[in-house]
Amino acid sequence: MGLLVKLAWRNLWRNRRRTMITISAVVFATFLSLIMRGIQLGTYDQNISWALNLFSGYIQLQHPEFKANPSLHRSFHFTPGMREALRNDDRIRGFAPRVYGDGLISFGQNSLGTALFGIDPDEERSVTRMHEKVNAGRMIVSSKASEIVVGRTLLKNLKAQIGDTAVVLSQGYDGALGNMKYRIVGSVRTGMQDFDRAAVFMGFEDLQELVSMQGRVSVVAIALHDLHDIEDVTENLNAGMDTSEVRALSWEEIMPDMKQGIELDNYSGMLMLAILIVIVAFGILNTVLMSVTERFREFGILLSIGMPQRQLVMLVFVETLYMLLIGILVGNVLALGVNLYLEANPITLTGEIAAMTEEYGWLPVMPSVVLPSSMLNTSFAILSISLIAALYPLYRVLTLEPLKGIRYT
Amino acid sequence: MLLTIAWRNIWRNRRRSVIVLVSIVVGIAAVMFNDGLSIGMIRQMLENSIGSHVSHIQIHAQGFNDNRVIQNVVPKPAEVESALRNTAGVQHWSPRVLSFGLLSSALNSSGGVIVGVDPEREKDVTTIRRSIVEGNYLTGAAHEVVIGNRLADKLNVGIGDKVVGMASALSGDVGSDLFRVAGIFETVSSEFDKAYMFTSIDNARSMLELEDRILEYAVIVRDINRVEAVAAELRQKLGDDYEVLTYIDLLPILVSQVDMYKSMMYVVYLIIAIAMIFGIVNTMLMSVFERIQEIGVLMAIGMSVRRIFAMVLIEAGTLGIIGTATGLALGTGLLLLFSSIGIDFSIFSEGLTSFGVGAVIYPRLTLDTVLNVLIIIPLTTVLGAVYPAVRAMRLQPVTAIRYV
Amino acid sequence: MEVIRLEHVEKIYSDNGVPVHALRGIDLRITQGEFTVIAGPSGSGKTTLLNIMGALDKASKGKVFLEKEEIGEKSRDEISAFRLEKLGFVFQAYNLIPVLTAMENIEFTMMLLGIEEKQRRDRAREVMRELDIEELADKRPNEMSGGQQQRVAVARAIVNNPSIILADEPTANLDSETGANLLDLMEKMNRDHKLTFIFSSHDRQVIDRARRLVILKDGLIERDGNGNAAQ
Repeated sequence: MGLLVKLAWRNLWRNRRRTMITISAVVFATFLSLIMRGIQLGTYDQNISWALNLFSGYIQLQHPEFKANPSLHRSFHFTPGMREALRNDDRIRGFAPRVYGDGLISFGQNSLGTALFGIDPDEERSVTRMHEKVNAGRMIVSSKASEIVVGRTLLKNLKAQIGDTAVVLSQGYDGALGNMKYRIVGSVRTGMQDFDRAAVFMGFEDLQELVSMQGRVSVVAIALHDLHDIEDVTENLNAGMDTSEVRALSWEEIMPDMKQGIELDNYSGMLMLAILIVIVAFGILNTVLMSVTERFREFGILLSIGMPQRQLVMLVFVETLYMLLIGILVGNVLALGVNLYLEANPITLTGEIAAMTEEYGWLPVMPSVVLPSSMLNTSFAILSISLIAALYPLYRVLTLEPLKGIRYT
Repeated sequence: MLLTIAWRNIWRNRRRSVIVLVSIVVGIAAVMFNDGLSIGMIRQMLENSIGSHVSHIQIHAQGFNDNRVIQNVVPKPAEVESALRNTAGVQHWSPRVLSFGLLSSALNSSGGVIVGVDPEREKDVTTIRRSIVEGNYLTGAAHEVVIGNRLADKLNVGIGDKVVGMASALSGDVGSDLFRVAGIFETVSSEFDKAYMFTSIDNARSMLELEDRILEYAVIVRDINRVEAVAAELRQKLGDDYEVLTYIDLLPILVSQVDMYKSMMYVVYLIIAIAMIFGIVNTMLMSVFERIQEIGVLMAIGMSVRRIFAMVLIEAGTLGIIGTATGLALGTGLLLLFSSIGIDFSIFSEGLTSFGVGAVIYPRLTLDTVLNVLIIIPLTTVLGAVYPAVRAMRLQPVTAIRYV
Repeated sequence: MEVIRLEHVEKIYSDNGVPVHALRGIDLRITQGEFTVIAGPSGSGKTTLLNIMGALDKASKGKVFLEKEEIGEKSRDEISAFRLEKLGFVFQAYNLIPVLTAMENIEFTMMLLGIEEKQRRDRAREVMRELDIEELADKRPNEMSGGQQQRVAVARAIVNNPSIILADEPTANLDSETGANLLDLMEKMNRDHKLTFIFSSHDRQVIDRARRLVILKDGLIERDGNGNAAQ
């Protein structure tokens, strides 16, 4: 066996140029796949946490039917017991109860439909970054101050200024219409059209009063320290609650469209890589086949001096494996370097593309991420697809007849 | 004759050439399919937006698009209508009033766009009538409304149920009216189905105190490729009191996404091309080194090095052309097949409908794709043969002839 | 008329780093219409000398004139063109282009000269008729015997009306009868067309036909004079 391994290694360098080109192809495929995966996954992670930190939170507590039918009636009591449970889980960074409603905001001659968010500015600060998105004026300071912060496009469409007082009209818990006056103290610019065009943030208690649902909340947004704990914490929370009253939902359940959008993009990225790997695998197939055919004569001699056919197949297999392993190793090392660099110094988009990414609510920055699991998976994919490609030449060696081999020229 | 030699040389090692060809063919077919699918997806987004409400051209009072307030009414509707009637490129048009307001049922309320339309005219302009999944389209009777299915779900209403619409009226007061749900529509865009409600234009006008005023004309042109020309003609007829916007002006993000996608696709082509190059370099090198002696003889009988170089490039180019032709045929076949039957991506339906694509994607074959493949791939194979050809060129006739 | 002149030509090879002095100073002049055999034991430098005369190889020292022009000063392209127009080669291993038929092999050098197809065909047929190989026209090299291949190679060598044919051990792979036929043919070409033939060979059969015989030994000319066939 030791001799076989040595023989395989030396055979590899008999046609140095061909071996180098084949290895380069494997390096290229590995390197490119890992970089693309790294950037893709890094960008997803970044955009997910960006979107989650913006407002939705990583996990939300909701009435079980709220998602299907987000009405005031699908609300719940946020009990001190729940509060305690959230506070005691150290994976949870913070949580914020909210009331969601819909209304009409009027200023002067203009009235516009809006989405109303009742928040507690202090608790909200531990969960989301909405307070950082204030582009004019300031955030509301308490949950009961008759102040509102509106989306910047909404402010413009209303033709109102910061400091103006607007009327918000909404249908209450009891079905009756109510309206109240609030002072606009600031505007937010989130990049998400839904927020910028239609959001009104007001005190948690102010909104409860407007829609007459004192004591009840629509959702509790929860933020974690680590994205990867979402599943565990969600399960854990659900285990500790009466899920007919209130349920914990992960962001994937809250925003299935975002999740699927990412998945779709992810699959199309993986498909692209698969094509790339398959093309490279054909190259490997050809190299191995050539190196085998040009040695048929030599193999014939080896067979006729009594080398078992299996060992010959093994020899070619080891040769192929060497090339693949070297290529994959070098590719991994190169990609690791580049990915580490991109993790620290993300690619920043500029110009029109950047503007467009922002329109979609994404950051115009593409960081990479170094995930050992992704490196392993990608390497394994390249190794297995290439080995499958090498099966044909191996088969040819297996079925080679000694005399034919010698006669072959 | 160089071509004959190249052709026959390719088939000297049939198996090797076939493997290279298969890799080229698979690469091309896969890239084309991917390309067609992505283009199909983006175009569907664009076409669905156009079909559900944007239409090809919108005419408003100057400045309305940036400042969508109800006071910004079309100055002289009669003037616009006469221009529309007298413009040959215009196929259908429909007058509208619209306002962003609040819709409430007994249980819930939701912000949304209230659109007043002429039911007869609107059905030629947008796909709303065809998208009705429950109940009926507007008949023109008072207090009828059709709403998106997602909005109906949120308001928890069905056919015959009451909804109250509220929006700012011309005077600045909040105008409101009580409607009954006549129909529920479902398009491929969940965003649209969440937010839109259609009623008859007269009803909407009375609610918004608009009397006989109009806020928007939605226009469908006969030939979408001539949309800019039609818009220019209308602009010229109507003058500066009006804004005439094409879907390109109205959906800048979607339109530029097509451009962005195109530039992204070049990166994909580049990557695939590089992957192919490795295969070509190796194959051509093997083929050159197998024939060292033969090349030596060619040199000895007076073939210039430039011709030797050309011969190797032609061989690779021929492989490239055969591969491209086959790949193109396969890719085109696949795209044509799936462009009519579509591919069902129901597992991503939430994501796809939120982008306004729809769960079934119809890949498209575009001239761009074909041209890209036609230019890039043969060029790639020739490029991949440069190094082997240089090696062939550098051979010294004597050593080459002696080489065994 | 002088066709080739060699002045003090030396050739040093490096054989795995060990310098080998293949030619140690050759002075030789070949005139048109000669039928010359360069003979000598293995390793005496015959093939090297022939290769240098055919501009396939460069001399390490000394000067080589082909039709009075020094080839050391020419570019690779000029040398290719020169070989194409003035020289014809016949190799020991025939060396036809395997993917081309006999006809196409003969046409090939004419194609390189840019001669149009019709003319090419006619000329190739004419040469094949002269060499009596018309029936081989559509056969590929692997469908022909060694003698047939070598005849096609001769046809290829003479088709452009070169002034010199260089033949390196042309009979080495042929049986004596076939070899004799080939040499008859070459003599006929020499007689009819005043073609210059230069052989490198240690085959008795070839040497017997030499009109001028140059014997090499250890890279030097040992004897240069009339051959057995000299009139």
